[in-house]
Amino acid sequence: MASTAGGGRFLPGDPRTSEPYRLTPQTALRVAILAFLALGVFAVLFLRLWALQVLSGDRYLAQANDNRVRTLRVEAARGPIVDRNGSILVTNVPGTRLELWPADLPKTWHAQLKELQAISKVTGIAVPTMVAQLRQHGSDPLTPIVVQRGLRRDQVNYIDERAAQFPGVQTQDSYLRKYPYQSLAAQVLGYVGQISALEYKQKRTAGYQPTDSIGQAGVESTYDTYLRGRNGTAQLTVDSRGRPKGPATLVAQPSPGETLRLTLDIGLQRAAEKALRYGISLAHSGIEGAHADGGAIVAMDPRNGAVLAMASYPTYQPSIYVGHPDAQKLAPVIDPTQAAQANYPGINRAIDAAYPPGSTFKPVTALAAMQEGIVHPFDQILCSPDFKAYKQVFNNWTNLINQWIDLPTALGMSCDTYFYELGRRFYVLPADRGHPLQGWANRFGLGELSGIDISPEVPGLIPTPEWRRQAYPASQGYGVIDRTWKPGYSIQMAIGQGQILVTPLQMTRLYAMIANGGNLVTPHLADDVELTGPNGQPARVLRRFGAQPPQPSGVDPTALHYVQQGLEEATHAAFGTGVGVFGNFPVNIAGKTGSAEKNVTLPGDRYPQNLTQSWWCGYGPYDQPTIAVCAVIENGGHGGTAAAPAALRVFEQYFNKTATTTSHISD
Amino acid sequence: MAIEAVDTRARGLRSRREAEVVGLSAMLRRLDWVLMFALAGVVAYGLWAIDGITKHDVGGSAVTRQGLYAAVGALVFVAVLFIDPDIYRRLRRPIYFGTLGIMVFVLAAGAATRGSRRWIDVGFFTFQPSEFGKVLFVLALAGFLAGRARSMSSPAAPLAALGYGLVPIALVFLQPDIGTALVYTAALAAVLFIAGIRWSHFVVLITLTIVVALSVLWLLPAAGVNVLKPYQAARLTGFTHPSSDIQGATYNLRQSITAVGAGGLRGRGVLGATQTRLNYLPEHATDFAFASLAEERGFFGASILLLLYLLVVWRALKIVASARDLYCAIVAGGIAFMFLFQVFVNSAMTMGIAPITGIPLPFVSVGGSSMITNFLAIGILQAIYLRRPSRRYS
Repeated sequence: MASTAGGGRFLPGDPRTSEPYRLTPQTALRVAILAFLALGVFAVLFLRLWALQVLSGDRYLAQANDNRVRTLRVEAARGPIVDRNGSILVTNVPGTRLELWPADLPKTWHAQLKELQAISKVTGIAVPTMVAQLRQHGSDPLTPIVVQRGLRRDQVNYIDERAAQFPGVQTQDSYLRKYPYQSLAAQVLGYVGQISALEYKQKRTAGYQPTDSIGQAGVESTYDTYLRGRNGTAQLTVDSRGRPKGPATLVAQPSPGETLRLTLDIGLQRAAEKALRYGISLAHSGIEGAHADGGAIVAMDPRNGAVLAMASYPTYQPSIYVGHPDAQKLAPVIDPTQAAQANYPGINRAIDAAYPPGSTFKPVTALAAMQEGIVHPFDQILCSPDFKAYKQVFNNWTNLINQWIDLPTALGMSCDTYFYELGRRFYVLPADRGHPLQGWANRFGLGELSGIDISPEVPGLIPTPEWRRQAYPASQGYGVIDRTWKPGYSIQMAIGQGQILVTPLQMTRLYAMIANGGNLVTPHLADDVELTGPNGQPARVLRRFGAQPPQPSGVDPTALHYVQQGLEEATHAAFGTGVGVFGNFPVNIAGKTGSAEKNVTLPGDRYPQNLTQSWWCGYGPYDQPTIAVCAVIENGGHGGTAAAPAALRVFEQYFNKTATTTSHISD
Repeated sequence: MAIEAVDTRARGLRSRREAEVVGLSAMLRRLDWVLMFALAGVVAYGLWAIDGITKHDVGGSAVTRQGLYAAVGALVFVAVLFIDPDIYRRLRRPIYFGTLGIMVFVLAAGAATRGSRRWIDVGFFTFQPSEFGKVLFVLALAGFLAGRARSMSSPAAPLAALGYGLVPIALVFLQPDIGTALVYTAALAAVLFIAGIRWSHFVVLITLTIVVALSVLWLLPAAGVNVLKPYQAARLTGFTHPSSDIQGATYNLRQSITAVGAGGLRGRGVLGATQTRLNYLPEHATDFAFASLAEERGFFGASILLLLYLLVVWRALKIVASARDLYCAIVAGGIAFMFLFQVFVNSAMTMGIAPITGIPLPFVSVGGSSMITNFLAIGILQAIYLRRPSRRYS
């Protein structure tokens, strides 16, 4: 820098940037200083390394060999799950878990096998199971493997008293899930199980440990973060053979999980599950319901989407997952062939099964037709034994009628030919009108996930010409004729038949929308999360999930009024299809039967047969609805035979009133 | 004096043009092959070390992943050789403000998720801007200082550079990443030093730094003002009294010293190194990699790594002395000192003679951002050396 000033004369350019440069003595000195600093730094490092490793290496080696502090996990009590009134649905009982510490197990394979055999003798867990678990977690010797959670008292005593014979084996306090109502709401609650390797990989950042339990389905899974609590830690010193030297010291207190309050009502849930079994037994006594073997009932508050009851049949006891699960008891839920034989008790049919809706879909057709101006509620259309169009004959469900009727009457008597005519009118709409029937079905929440807070949920299907083109591609050998949307599809869809599929929850949401004046609610099961009190009772609300505000569906209130009127006629007019069931119930219930034909392959059969799915959907009280109910009985025959009487049982429990069922007209 | 200066410059310029037109073979000949050897050695040694260190971790050895980062780093290294360092000087403003922008973005994203966020997730790779920022910071600051070289004797230029430097330091500090903030501070000191700051100013700055550090760690907390979170302060000061809180803040430190000591002269091997294998030594793949290496490979193994580092630092300082212009000299000096600082603080902390901070051990600690950044830094050193005036060797 000393002589830069003179250089500017010789070359043009920015004098600041292209200034001539030469290592000045000053810079050289500074580089030298840095070099000496570097030498000093490395000297310090080498000296320290020498001091630690060579001079006091033996001392540290002894320290490392004596380093046998084990960090134990002190399990937090999982939060209880209560119903809307605070009655406990799921809680905990203290249990003992058996852990293997790979680092402390005998070092030779032979000795290890002998010890595992001894453990197997006490606990009844197969040796290969434990070996497989050890292999899986073998890479981390300081993470214990939980081989069993529900150890019996005598087993605990046996192992604790012979600790010397079981190096690397430890018994720890644990909590087991307890279900006071056994199978009640099993599919809604879900169950708790050991975290899988995949789940651990996905959730390790959220603080999960490889030995943790985690909610595996239902609300146990959705709200796991609230229910799990925070595990504490304790430290334990062990000797060179892995035997504890003295008691463990608590380092961090576990904090118990929070209480989850559901919108379910235990009484109504129990009534719904009983009603399902009742509906199936009714179906069995009818002609067309001999194959009835499953079903679902959903009850919902139509004002906010709070699910009051969600029943699915067949069901199972979540307690089969508790402790060391018994493969035989689990088989109907997890083994594919056994599950098929038991008709899939693990499936929540309210959200995870889709059926053709049959006549319960007619309100959608009616609303869409009025909105699109292709029918007026007082237009008289002929209700006849059959409907002929496009060289095809579409039959009415009864041939004892030939009369001109208006829209509410058509809904009330569930006249198929009236709706065939509407379906035809939808079909002949010009192309620029789109597909309004499907469009309105979508706006009413059909064909899409309802957004309920448990999974898995299926979206169902509202077929459109576009869907048909994509679902039957030429690449799979389908012809043009398969890809074409034919008039029959529109006509069938008008009465909820064909390829259309809906879930019972979607239908409940639809009828809640009709009940509350046209607003689509978001179904939900969780009400809030509360601090768990000292005796397991909810104490203080920490977080409220509550209801999302209902979304207007855009339906005309006047049009909706005529549909409501039709649904009320269905349960009260002389010609109503549900009048035999609901006609003399003290509370005014409005609703619609449905008998949907579906090709079903029964277990053991080779070919599918056409069986009728029994539906009923409705709400009450008619003027100020506070509950919407949908019931479906698989292969249960006509709606009025099985589903409607089952739904009535739910209303009876809800309003605490009984009705006497008389004869009934079907559909 | 003046004639000599003209002479030097003329030759320097000629050689610069030469460097641009000479072919690949001439370029290869002009590389610093001792530095190349040191680089290859430290990378290979680091991969071998990390294979042993992570062999028993959940998920298995990280050597494949680390090797992939090294391969990407090598590509960056080669690419940087072709870039004239003067381009960085001309682009100092975009480099500086771009780096600041990304840091602010990281902070904002972190604030949005209410936690410490140092990374940007770009899908296949989590990118840690403050790591790359180390080198960019030196490049930008050197540019500001080289332009003000003639006014270095007045306090204005050092103060301006200080202003430029403190903003990114504060941003990194807020992430919060105290270790990296310290590296930035060291780099700032180094570039000021090489740029020719007056001794008196330098002493004042060092004194001020010490006063700030003391007040943050002891004086202000004593007065009830906590700049650092308690755990951060405990980590920084824990090494001065290692046995105070065995299960708490100094747990890692105690386990680390035990690991280093237990390694002895020859090391305990991958299987025998219980401190690492049984996970007593936390973060042994990243922050405490040196302790783990010392445990597994002993005094000999650790010394080989330190000697390779020393070789890198020595060649880097040599490049400072042979640089073409002041800008290149400042950049090389900043990189050299930053490298030295990281090696020292990381290895010294595992031995209990420096505060515990999350600084990665260059070319060893598992991490893509750090690996690629170090390749970038050495690449810039080589790029400077390639374009040196040839007088000394002609």
